[in-house]
Amino acid sequence: MEATDRVILAFQKGIQSDPNIQSLLNKNFPACKPILTPRWVVSTFMLIAIVFIPIGIACLIGSRDVVEVVERYETECIPVLNRTNTVQFIQSDADKTCNISMTIPKRMKQPIYVYYQLDNFYQNHRRYVKSRSDEQLKSASKENDTSACKPEDIANGRGAIVPCGLIAWSLFNDTYSFSRQNQSLTVNKKGIAWKSDKQKRFGKNVFPKNFQGGGLVGGATLNESIPLNEQEDLMVWMRTAALPTFRKLYGKIEVDLEEKEVINVTLMNYYNTYSFNGKKKLVLSTTSWIGGRNDFLGIAYLTVGMISFALSMGFTIVYFVKPRRLGDPYLLIMEQRSWIALKMFVEFF
Amino acid sequence: MLELVADMMEKDLILIGATAVEDKLQKGVPQCIDKLAQAGLKIWVLTGDKMETAINIGFSCSLLRQGMKQICITVMNSDAVAQESKQAVKENISMQITNASQMVKLEKDPHAAFALIIDGKTLSYALEDDMKHQFLALAVVCASVICCRVSPKQKALVTRLVKEGTGKTTLAIGDGANDVGMIQEADIGVGISGVEGMQAVMASDFSISQFRFLERLLVVHGHWCYKRIAQMICYFFYKNIAFGLTLFYFEAFTAFSGQSVYNDWYMLLFNVILTSLPVISLGVFEQDVSSEVCLQFPALYQQGPKNLFFDWYRILGWMGNGLYTSLVIFILNIMIFYNQAFRAEGQTADMAAMGATMFSCIITAVNCQIALTMSHFTWIQHLFVWGSVTTWYLFLLLFGMLPPYYSEDAHKILVEALGPAPIYWCTILLVTVACNLPYLAHISFQRCFNPMDHHIIQEIKYYKKDVEDQHMWRRERSKARQETKIGFTARVDAKIRQLKGKLQRRSSTLILPNCMPSPCQ
Repeated sequence: MEATDRVILAFQKGIQSDPNIQSLLNKNFPACKPILTPRWVVSTFMLIAIVFIPIGIACLIGSRDVVEVVERYETECIPVLNRTNTVQFIQSDADKTCNISMTIPKRMKQPIYVYYQLDNFYQNHRRYVKSRSDEQLKSASKENDTSACKPEDIANGRGAIVPCGLIAWSLFNDTYSFSRQNQSLTVNKKGIAWKSDKQKRFGKNVFPKNFQGGGLVGGATLNESIPLNEQEDLMVWMRTAALPTFRKLYGKIEVDLEEKEVINVTLMNYYNTYSFNGKKKLVLSTTSWIGGRNDFLGIAYLTVGMISFALSMGFTIVYFVKPRRLGDPYLLIMEQRSWIALKMFVEFF
Repeated sequence: MLELVADMMEKDLILIGATAVEDKLQKGVPQCIDKLAQAGLKIWVLTGDKMETAINIGFSCSLLRQGMKQICITVMNSDAVAQESKQAVKENISMQITNASQMVKLEKDPHAAFALIIDGKTLSYALEDDMKHQFLALAVVCASVICCRVSPKQKALVTRLVKEGTGKTTLAIGDGANDVGMIQEADIGVGISGVEGMQAVMASDFSISQFRFLERLLVVHGHWCYKRIAQMICYFFYKNIAFGLTLFYFEAFTAFSGQSVYNDWYMLLFNVILTSLPVISLGVFEQDVSSEVCLQFPALYQQGPKNLFFDWYRILGWMGNGLYTSLVIFILNIMIFYNQAFRAEGQTADMAAMGATMFSCIITAVNCQIALTMSHFTWIQHLFVWGSVTTWYLFLLLFGMLPPYYSEDAHKILVEALGPAPIYWCTILLVTVACNLPYLAHISFQRCFNPMDHHIIQEIKYYKKDVEDQHMWRRERSKARQETKIGFTARVDAKIRQLKGKLQRRSSTLILPNCMPSPCQ
């Protein structure tokens, strides 16, 4: 045999005789081999039903506890004369004050959250989402790091825009003031942004500069003496929403509102959603342990729980009506051969 | 001169005895061939030995037996070959093949078995293009085929003929340098390492040290391998469809701008660490039945050649499952996180929160799905499956702790935003169960009404019925064999039939006019 053959044979022999390798290669790990017996099937579906239906009821109750008042105002707040040319109106210098009233359907316990809702506004558009500079928001030294922010990166001849980018540029600027029975309600605008935004993402010595200075005004202006980590509206706005219909937290009302109370809202209708047929809505909502009002979670849990219950009942009936002996070898579909001949052979001789 | 001397000496000798030389078969070869025949494989022998040796080997490993009709295709008398033209020889062979085929076709006894024996010289004519199909047609109806005096080139040609002519998968096993052509030609080449050197081993796809290991290689590992690969591929498609389609659905909500709802890092790690390890453990360790059962029930092997586990029905079923899962994940997440607050403190969900939740749902759902698919759980599977889910949460935690330069919107998302929100955990539970419920219902239904062979065997083992009822277990093992005409069990069967026949003839002569019931009926 050649030398290589000898080497290969020796290697094979080595492996075959080494007890450690053999024990590893032939090891039969203790295994559990669960199979779906009727008992497991029915009890699994029943367990799912038992767990899900109460959760569904709890979620539904949690959602139903929430009181929500939604008021759409973008068409209402344009004077009738200008409703044929809304874009021109919103871009003009006319008075944009608007008064609407909201009736509370049920007692709302504080804190009552005030949201503005925008429809048909694609904050999740790819070009929009990437148009920001996190470096610039965090530290004053990185002020000129505006490459991703085009076209809102540099004010004409005056240096970098802080904060740059389309997200900041399109900051929502309608304002709301609430009163009931001629007594104004304070809206707490502190504590509406995430703590991690305030502490880590927006710097405390970064101040707005040249904001809205790129030629076209897209939204609100910022107070240049307030550092970015205290500009809560900006921080809330810069968290881009997932869907084209979204709400953002505006503030909190920290008194209870009684049923049937009429709240008068004086709002400044500055924000231009008319160019793209967007809708603007004002929302007052309480929260429960589950958040805002959305029956879907509760209904979904109940649906899955009911389906599971129906499946467990169905399988129970089936197992009673048409039982199959488990491990019944007569069901083996393999080829059959009779051993009757052998038995006879044995008996006879 | 020497002849004369020998003639003078070798007279008036007393015969004392006779010696014989047996070219022993390796240990376990007859049993191996028997088992492979029971698994439904057809076995041909291609050897360089002469015809008598080959026939004896056939008898000793039960490829041939008494009662089998042997069809010998040979070139007639060798001295006539030189004189007759090639054409005449071919015609002769063709006639022999035709006669043999006729004989086989006209045979009425279903248990009759034929063995084809052909030698190398004849084969060189039979393998020519105009005759080879005729030869193949005869060969496939015979229970066993023995080709003797075959040259290495002819071994390869016969293998190619079978491979291309029947379209079935062929396996060639050999131990010498003369088998290399055949090993390389076959779909699967197995080399036996041994006294003849390593050439066969180096040319082969698999190498074993003894012939009898072929039984385990095919019936146990072949069976497992087929199942593992089929399940792995179907599951891989499923999980990637479930993940990828959610990205497409989201585009409808982003004005088709190409924004992905997940952070890039989530997508990167999906196939690398978060869902790959369970699939690997499925592909490496999965056993639907244990190795003893595979050996005891060789007919289970036929699940492979019949392609019961990788047909279009199954593939499309898994893809459909992936489509359904992606729809459920996407729609439920969108509807639950719609536009209202998702926490008691009033915050609404941004794209980062919804993306992280959706991704958590995907990871949990696909890993629970693979846990439902697996039938053999060792500590490795548990570690990989539940470890993958845990790795995701750990990753989300650690990624969130990185400074916002790296983690951007995902900074502290689990700790601050999602972890304390009950809606996050409720959503994951709901979506996981909703995704897996149809599959669970389907397999329960299938096991109940339409169980497959390995399900029954699993149940027998689970309820330990094999221990309780030894008779039943042995009986089923005996039933679990493919009808076969070769191998020593077939030989035993044939003997039984012969004896039964004799018994009937004997008892028919004993029946008196007032018929005593015969024990045979």
